[in-house]
Amino acid sequence: MTDRSSLPSDEDLTAFLDGELPAEDMTRIADLAEKSQDVADRIAFLSRADLPFADAFAPLLEAAPIDRLEAMLDAVPEVRGKAAATGYSRRQVFTALAASIVAGIAIDRSIIVAGRMGAKEQGGEWRAAVAQYMALYTSDTLAGTSPSRDVQLAQLATVNSHLGLALTPEDVALSGKEFRRAQILAYDKQPLAQLTYLDPATGPMALCITLSDGGVRDISDERRSAMNIAFWSGPQHAIMLIGHADPTEIHVLAQSVKDRITV
Amino acid sequence: MVTSSQPWSDYALGSEGTVRRATVPRQAIAREANIASHSTVRSGLRENLQRLWRYGFVLSRARDAADDLVQQTCVRALERADQFVEGTRLDRWLLTILHSIWLNEVRSRRVRLGQGLVPAEDILVHDGQHEMEMRLAAADVMNRVNALPEAQRAAVFLAYVEGMSYREVAEVLDIPIGTVMSRLAAARAKLAADTDGGE
Repeated sequence: MTDRSSLPSDEDLTAFLDGELPAEDMTRIADLAEKSQDVADRIAFLSRADLPFADAFAPLLEAAPIDRLEAMLDAVPEVRGKAAATGYSRRQVFTALAASIVAGIAIDRSIIVAGRMGAKEQGGEWRAAVAQYMALYTSDTLAGTSPSRDVQLAQLATVNSHLGLALTPEDVALSGKEFRRAQILAYDKQPLAQLTYLDPATGPMALCITLSDGGVRDISDERRSAMNIAFWSGPQHAIMLIGHADPTEIHVLAQSVKDRITV
Repeated sequence: MVTSSQPWSDYALGSEGTVRRATVPRQAIAREANIASHSTVRSGLRENLQRLWRYGFVLSRARDAADDLVQQTCVRALERADQFVEGTRLDRWLLTILHSIWLNEVRSRRVRLGQGLVPAEDILVHDGQHEMEMRLAAADVMNRVNALPEAQRAAVFLAYVEGMSYREVAEVLDIPIGTVMSRLAAARAKLAADTDGGE
């Protein structure tokens, strides 16, 4: 604390003005101000900064986009229920993912771990999780430009190595959509390839591939988390294309990918 | 209640395809309490959305960043709901989370993007002629606070707008109380000098 013989520091005087000093120091500075014009002047100077801060910032509360914020909060999934069984739920995982997306942090730096799932969940559950996750993407999330072919090749090489595939940039190109990134996430302790695209007309789109032994199935369509999905599966992989484009377009795009790739 | 406390960890795939070990905390205890704290945190978030957004805006000086910060705060707070200590101030806890997300995740990106100052007049969107004077006075104070360096701005906002004690400010900013004092003193000197010059 301040040397009694010298002028108190601005820190002490500020704490004095804010009523944050111990009682004895409050008294001591008040006494000093009585005796010393310098101290009184400095206190008077610093107290000019006693502005109506609370009033000034009150309108900023009104400026908050409350409807949007409430919708955001409502969109954060519940973290309970099934979580009890595994300690860490997939929802928690995808919730954590959401945070990294919003932060613009490379998702592939995040540790993405899914909890155990019952076998019966391995059908539509992964698509529900992907949909929930993709619903958090906005066009801003995918702002920027398509990476060069070399970069795409490198990204796809990682995907291919984890999923036993041989995808090329041409295989996964979507007509009229801008490729953004291919990366490996993990879902249910299995690698999950996520290839993102920006559809200039409707926003985020993604092609996701995971390992599956659910049998070969032709393309089906569904709607989850307000997005349209076309999904199919090969002997060892399940694939889904998800986006905000209309179901017909999603289906046609999915068909074109299905015709090009062997899974 | 989970009967098995079998520790387990999972692999996670890094960007280079490396396999990393991730330790998963055991959550086998107090499930009901966790559920209670989740609903407490969720309702606390709902009540404080505007305040969180305001602090996000004060830190970032950008609407979209404030939106992002609130969203991430919601996600993080619900994730960590079981870390909230019942009986302590939930609003402070939420502001602490928001600040930490700003510091660790969002700020560097915003700084890289070179975000500029947003004049308060652009944010205050009130209608009505009679509010003009108050609005301008408010905008003046906001602009002056906005012009402070970030560290001082955050301390001033938390202490003088949110009305926190020095100790609470120190906790939210994760700095010693002495640092809070020096930031506030520097801010006061700057604001006082501006006031002096303007009169």
